[in-house]
Amino acid sequence: MKTLLCEGCQTQIDGVFDLPALAQLSVEDQRFLLQFVKASGSLKEMAKLLGLSYPTVRNRLDDIIERIKLAENSEQNDGKEKQ
Amino acid sequence: MSETPADSRSPGSKLMQWLFNPFRFTAGSKALGSGLAAILLAGLFGWMGNTHFDGIIDVHAGVEAPLWCFMAEGLIDWISMAIPLVFFGLIISNSSFRLIDVLGTQALARWPYLIISLIMLPAANRRVNAYLLSSFSQAEGSVTVSYGDFAIFAMAMIVTVCMAVWTVALMYKGYSLSCNVKGPRAIITFIISFVGSEVLSKAAVMYILS
Repeated sequence: MKTLLCEGCQTQIDGVFDLPALAQLSVEDQRFLLQFVKASGSLKEMAKLLGLSYPTVRNRLDDIIERIKLAENSEQNDGKEKQ
Repeated sequence: MSETPADSRSPGSKLMQWLFNPFRFTAGSKALGSGLAAILLAGLFGWMGNTHFDGIIDVHAGVEAPLWCFMAEGLIDWISMAIPLVFFGLIISNSSFRLIDVLGTQALARWPYLIISLIMLPAANRRVNAYLLSSFSQAEGSVTVSYGDFAIFAMAMIVTVCMAVWTVALMYKGYSLSCNVKGPRAIITFIISFVGSEVLSKAAVMYILS
């Protein structure tokens, strides 16, 4: 991300900014996490909502956790390189 | 991996998923209940048709035995496969999985054996089997079989092989999904479990039949 803009005062800041790990996920993953939070973090509830089995939903969550960890690691590595 | 709500898939695609990866939609106690029902029903029909499931994927026509032996064979096959898969899952999986998912998926994976038990019901199969046994034991002539019997037997054998392959594929899918394991490590541990379970179930079935 190169530009940050304040809609209120129209202040624009240019630079190189990292997206937060959650924002780096795909739209589908973000939608899944939103549903997961709405379901109070209940995998059983998520399984009911999506019409999928419990391990299918748990594996999906595990995959997303892996992707978040990767994103965080690459952020940390980028930070070290910049320093 | 991207999951979409199950209802948004086309009916054909959903049917294929139910046939080849039913565990995407069902696991745990539901799969365990329906799987155990299928195993016990297969045992009942096996008893009626004198078809033994005396090994993880074995199908043999032969020795008459009480109903409980046929039921026990199915249960032994199921549990002797599930136990090593749980063991390997604990070793290689990075996820925390539920025991009931492994037990349930492995039970439901055996449902094609219900079809085998039904396919083996016609008396023609027993006649051909008796004819083949008498041929091997040089006692030919005591059993008469028709071409129709052979045709039914051949059909039953083809269906049996297909069902056995399907069962193995379902067992692997169940293991992979319930323990969240993929790739070479999953395949290798599955093969080791499969071979070990075959020996274990054979020994256990021979013990109860003796």
